[in-house]
Amino acid sequence: MRKIIEIELIKIASYNVFRVLILLHLILFFLVVLVTSQLDITVPGFSTHNLYQFPNVWEYFPWVASWFNILLAIMIIVITGNEYTYHTFRQHVIDGLSRNQLLSGKGAVIIITAVYGTLMVFLFSMIFGFIFTRNYTLSVFYEKIYILFVYFLQAIAYMSLGFFIAVLFRNTGLSITLFILFRFVIEPVIRLFFPKHIRLFFPVKVISNLTPVPEFLSIFSGNTEVDNTAVDTYSLREMGILQEELPILINILLAAGYTLLFISLAWFLLRRRNL
Amino acid sequence: MKIVLQTINLHKSYGHVRAVSNLSVSIHEGNVYGILGPNGSGKTTTLAIITGVIRPDLGNFFWFEEKSSHDIRKKIGSLIEIPNFYPYLSLKRNLMIIARIKNVPETDIPRVLDITGLSKRMNSRYDTLSLGMKQRLAVASVLLGNPEVLVLDEPANSLDPEGIAEIRQIIKGEAEKNKTIILASHILDEVEKVCSHVAILKNGEMIAQGKVNELLVSKDPVIISSENLDLLEEELIRSGLTESVNRQNDELLVVLKKGYTTSDINSYAFSKGLVLTRLEIRKRSLESQFLELVK
Repeated sequence: MRKIIEIELIKIASYNVFRVLILLHLILFFLVVLVTSQLDITVPGFSTHNLYQFPNVWEYFPWVASWFNILLAIMIIVITGNEYTYHTFRQHVIDGLSRNQLLSGKGAVIIITAVYGTLMVFLFSMIFGFIFTRNYTLSVFYEKIYILFVYFLQAIAYMSLGFFIAVLFRNTGLSITLFILFRFVIEPVIRLFFPKHIRLFFPVKVISNLTPVPEFLSIFSGNTEVDNTAVDTYSLREMGILQEELPILINILLAAGYTLLFISLAWFLLRRRNL
Repeated sequence: MKIVLQTINLHKSYGHVRAVSNLSVSIHEGNVYGILGPNGSGKTTTLAIITGVIRPDLGNFFWFEEKSSHDIRKKIGSLIEIPNFYPYLSLKRNLMIIARIKNVPETDIPRVLDITGLSKRMNSRYDTLSLGMKQRLAVASVLLGNPEVLVLDEPANSLDPEGIAEIRQIIKGEAEKNKTIILASHILDEVEKVCSHVAILKNGEMIAQGKVNELLVSKDPVIISSENLDLLEEELIRSGLTESVNRQNDELLVVLKKGYTTSDINSYAFSKGLVLTRLEIRKRSLESQFLELVK
């Protein structure tokens, strides 16, 4: 496996598109959290600065980072599409890699990229959290840190979907277009034809719901400034203001299942098709 | 001699198009085995099957008398169709990837770049190379790790005459090291000059195979002339040595029966009191042989 990872690192380390997309991902995320941190919108019961305090920062930053997962997925599509464009998957098999090792290589890139994304969110969360939080206890600090793991899974899930689409279509441009269409148009439109409780089980819905919109109002209410104005989040869901979601554990299991499905389908295609 | 590659009844179709049909060959250690055939005859498909990128519909093949696996492929240096490299990587980095796949030390990279004359371009990006240089890099990648077997599909593609001669020299050099080489080419002259054995494919089927010399010599016509051409013609027809005797101007064009040589003709004519003024084998090129076979 070390050899496979080394091979993938040689490929991506000198690849400008990879560097640009990773840098863009980092800069965009940083700019969004930096700019919004400078906005001090305070209304009774709400201050945007609360979003940067522990433990809310563990929820807010992964949510912001999730907007940019699409860049990571596009990057995976590009580097997988390259293998078909340059016929290098074919050459690797000729030279002595097995098809399973082709899959392992891209799996390693997906995991390494997800680790990078999670580390990025973790570091920025720590920095902003320490800057904006005056008093906190250890239990408050750790309260929502598990969302980092959820973000990690979400990044892997999006990239796995991208990888599957790239293996399916073997064409970078087409794969990127279809990935974006599937993410933002095709699945949302298909969901409309199903009852609300079924919609929650669609892959993109499941994956995007891993890092849902932070429950701002519960954040406000969690803050001691105006706890008497707290509004119950359950009632907000009932009112349709907050989206309905599956319990997080169910969502995690479903997302892991979809990830496994995408990887399995890609594996099946790699094994069955001629290169 | 050890069998390096054995294919048994290989079949491959693309829809209704039959690319390879019932192909069985045995290639022994040290053979330089040419695969000849017109476009679409199944040469590349055959090589793609034996190098693992295409799965046969039927049949089987064995490398070194074992079922093919990715570990076995590491012992084989293969160039199938066009060179496949990452355009944005340097020559060295491209070869580093292959070296890691094949478990070959990186110290072998300068050696193969030197053999192919690319040492000075080691750090250049692949996409800055000329077509000929790209082809040489592909040959360099094939030689990486000094493999026992080379599988080469049109290795002289895109090369200028000097490049073709160089690649041919490299192949001959490798053949002299008793390596087994499987070479698909449409350049008949190349096969004739480099290969010890040849198989000719047509519509996915093998229509002839054997030693290059035998395939060429067996039906080479002999040109004979004498002062008494009429008598010579009569005697040769009567001799039982010939398959055919044809008159062409002041000469006879004779095809000998298998097992007979020009010295048999000479002795026979001498015994009949005929003095030959010309006795010469008109060696037909592989091209004419090939065209006749695939006609």
